[in-house]
Amino acid sequence: MKINYKLQDKFDLLMFIPMMVLITFGLLAIYSSTIHHPTANGNFGKQFVFFAVSMVIYFVIYFLPQQTFRFFSIPTYLVSLFFLVAVLAVGKVIYGAKSWFGIGGFGFQPSELAKLGTILFLAFWLSFKPRDINNIKDIGLALLIGFIPVGLIMLEPDTGTSLIFVFITLALVYWSGISLFGLFVVLSPGVSIFASILGLPYFITVLVLIVVALFIFKRDLFNSATIFVINLSTGFFFDYAYKILKPHQQLRIASFLDPNADPLRSGYNVIQAKVAIGSGGLLGKGFMQGNQTQLRFIPEQWTDFIFCVIGEEFGFIGSVIIIISFLIIFYRLIKLASQSKDSYSSLVVIGILTLLFTHFAINIGMNVGLTPVIGLPLPFLSYGGSSLLIDVILMAIAMNFYRNRKQHT
Amino acid sequence: METTVGSVLRRRIMFFIITAFVAASVMSLFYMQIIHGGQFAVKSDENSIKAVPQVAPRGIFYDRYMRVMVGNRPSFSIQIIPAEYKNRKLDSLIEGVLNLPFGYIGNILRDTTQYSKFIPRKVKRDVDFKAIAWFEENQSKLPGVHYVMETLRDYSFGINGVHMFGYIKEISQEMLAKHKNEYTIGDNIGNNGLEKEYEQLVKGDKGMKLMLVDSRQKTIGRYKEGKDDKPTKKGDDLVLSIDRDVQKVAEEAFKDRRGAAVAIEPSTGEIISFVSAPEYDLNEFATVVSREDWDRLNKDEAKPLFNRATMSIFSPGSTFKMIAAIAALEEGVITTDTKFNCPGVFTYGNKQFKCEHVHGVMNVETAIEKSCNVFFYNLILKLGLDKWSEYAAKFGFGQKTAVDIGEEAKGILPSEQYYNKVYGKNGWTKGFLVSLGIGQGELSVTPIQLAKYTALLANYGQSADPHFLKGYIDKETGKFVPAQIHKIQLNISKRTFDIVRNAMFNVVNGAGTATSIRMSEIAIAGKTGTAQNPHGRPHSLFIAFAPYDNPKIAVAVMVENAGYGATTAAPIARDMIKAYLDKNSIDSQPKTDNSLAKVSH
Repeated sequence: MKINYKLQDKFDLLMFIPMMVLITFGLLAIYSSTIHHPTANGNFGKQFVFFAVSMVIYFVIYFLPQQTFRFFSIPTYLVSLFFLVAVLAVGKVIYGAKSWFGIGGFGFQPSELAKLGTILFLAFWLSFKPRDINNIKDIGLALLIGFIPVGLIMLEPDTGTSLIFVFITLALVYWSGISLFGLFVVLSPGVSIFASILGLPYFITVLVLIVVALFIFKRDLFNSATIFVINLSTGFFFDYAYKILKPHQQLRIASFLDPNADPLRSGYNVIQAKVAIGSGGLLGKGFMQGNQTQLRFIPEQWTDFIFCVIGEEFGFIGSVIIIISFLIIFYRLIKLASQSKDSYSSLVVIGILTLLFTHFAINIGMNVGLTPVIGLPLPFLSYGGSSLLIDVILMAIAMNFYRNRKQHT
Repeated sequence: METTVGSVLRRRIMFFIITAFVAASVMSLFYMQIIHGGQFAVKSDENSIKAVPQVAPRGIFYDRYMRVMVGNRPSFSIQIIPAEYKNRKLDSLIEGVLNLPFGYIGNILRDTTQYSKFIPRKVKRDVDFKAIAWFEENQSKLPGVHYVMETLRDYSFGINGVHMFGYIKEISQEMLAKHKNEYTIGDNIGNNGLEKEYEQLVKGDKGMKLMLVDSRQKTIGRYKEGKDDKPTKKGDDLVLSIDRDVQKVAEEAFKDRRGAAVAIEPSTGEIISFVSAPEYDLNEFATVVSREDWDRLNKDEAKPLFNRATMSIFSPGSTFKMIAAIAALEEGVITTDTKFNCPGVFTYGNKQFKCEHVHGVMNVETAIEKSCNVFFYNLILKLGLDKWSEYAAKFGFGQKTAVDIGEEAKGILPSEQYYNKVYGKNGWTKGFLVSLGIGQGELSVTPIQLAKYTALLANYGQSADPHFLKGYIDKETGKFVPAQIHKIQLNISKRTFDIVRNAMFNVVNGAGTATSIRMSEIAIAGKTGTAQNPHGRPHSLFIAFAPYDNPKIAVAVMVENAGYGATTAAPIARDMIKAYLDKNSIDSQPKTDNSLAKVSH
């Protein structure tokens, strides 16, 4: 088995095979949910073309020299910022958000490119030697790099996608070794926001806890006061932000708290998704036999609710195969991140992991009713050309790093 | 404090978060699919939105004056959705109410098992209203049985025209396999004639209606007030060149006869009338045709399913004499001064060929007028097979006319190669030619070929391939889109045509064989023919065009086993010509394209 050993040393089959399993299930589910659809019956063909193209790109990227990515970090980030600004000016409005460029029959979402740009540039910036991640100024700059795209994407508005950038930024800052205090500074405003959703008593309690924590950390009065004011203002800001959300987004938050409150509208998808998945049972109803899928109870099921198709037609067994495939990829990425000899590639891999995991967690969570309905695709499975392309490109970059993991750069 | 990138602790925390979330989702899937799977399965079965496919009405067939010939009418159909239809004991009850043979529903369900069980299967079309009322009343006891409104073809406009219109039929499984993306089971498809030829234009776009239903499958309303419905789009309307009045006259004339008639506008190739008799009732084809009906039509010795106008082949007889005349005149083999004597019989070798009369001395004009055989026996021997065959081919014999409906026969046009092939190089003699001179022997033609030939004679060799479609009214724009036509221009001199046309004029208006149909108001030119036929009496043939000076209509009529051309076929041709030209003198200007578009809205 010498040959196999050599192949595994250069090409991580444990990362590649689960990806192919996921893409295959995705294509099957897209076929099943669209082929009899009056308007979407061409989707399978389109997705298959993107799959074929992305496979070519996958192997091209795999064989690139590792330095390529470092070199392209800044340009990719800047170009993606440019597109994010441009799409606000000339983009196409789809589902109430201006997030698409229409090119011929296909659309292109600049926020997909921004995911790649932000991961590469943030990793590049954080791995620069004299950087001190516990210096408030450096923390601030790191957050700035990550939050510029967050702000631009919020303007589209696409809350779900901007959330991904928040998580990527936090994960990279965390991975570069921020101290407990630093983490407290970064995370406490988030906690304040969450508390303010729940109501004034919760918000006041959190503010009290923050004061106690600041006392324990024993920082100087100026720093402590600044942090407290930041928390106070973010909490109040949220109240304002909630009001500028689109009505359908407000409804989504409300329907997460009680899906049955509005059964025919926002809560509708959640209930139908649960029914579809639940009725799949252990073995599922069989390929193209799910009545929820075939009768199209869930609109646009081939995008964000693709997991329902799997759950209904392939049952518990099929769903677990999907989840285990993701888990194997996640584990391999963590391992790769810790094996990498330089902090740049380690950080990039963690960025990739965070992106995939956040999509996975929010999408699966939404499908099984653990998280609110936030419109995010399930990586490798959901219908969508640019999303599949970027996911495969990210996997290819990780595989490239795997190939070069033993070299010092 | 550790500050290295990716410390062991940080890795473990990340590992923990991921593993914990995955475990939580697997747990909740287990809870939903295994522990509560049964409850959800029940919920899924009684779910509440149903997509009902809507069939689009087919395009209407108009005649050349925008009068409806084939329309649409609403009707109810009963259909069964196998996924919901669980109680098979209901089969016999439903079969009883719908007057269907025992086991009919079982057969349908068994024959369609390869299709999704969520697609409805059509059990019966055009169900009468009483039966629909019964289904409506008992809906809650009949899960999976639904009635839908759809449109059927309406043939109540006084003409039949089966062989040109064709009929629509539920799509066959073979066709379905070929056109999986466009059709589903239970869909109708044009199966013959113009319905088949222009299926893509007339079929329209299917729609989809979303309905809210309760757990007993009872409809309780529209989903989102129909906002997400997809409306149907009616097919393009066809504007045909048929004149409904002439068609009616021709169909009446053939009521108790067998044969065919085709009328063409000489300058354009537009088909004015098209009859093949006997016909069958198209209304039978509006609903489901039972096997017995099919068998009856198939076995009928009168062959009503056979399209005689394009498929029947026979010897053209004397109607073909103009071919030899034109070829001989054009090639300089004869002039109008060339004369042959007709003693009533012609001897070639040891064989004798007869003529109807003792005509005496004939030239080419009088020979056509009186239909003298002896003249043409002499002529073809002088002309030779090659030239005769070449000119016959110019007029389209031995080839399909490319008319825009399905099946068509080529007929047989003998040539040297043909005889060499059939009899061997030295197996045939010049004697074979003699019969060809008078349109008998191994020569066969179709009625539509004769009509095209007549149109070319009428219009000095200028016409177009015969066709039914003038154009269609585009469903998107409402504009009239004219059909593409293929023009014909024969390279034959005006002088030759003048000689032959004048002779044909004298057939009716001189001392010819069809003076019985002479009319003072319309100058008809024609030629009789009698086609010898091994199966009984000869076929009666007549070709004609009118008015002589400026032909507007060319007709070919063939009546099976009816004897002389002048007695049966000629009066039918005259009546068709009269029906067309009488109206044209009152309402002689065909409507313009603009007014066509207006009528459609």
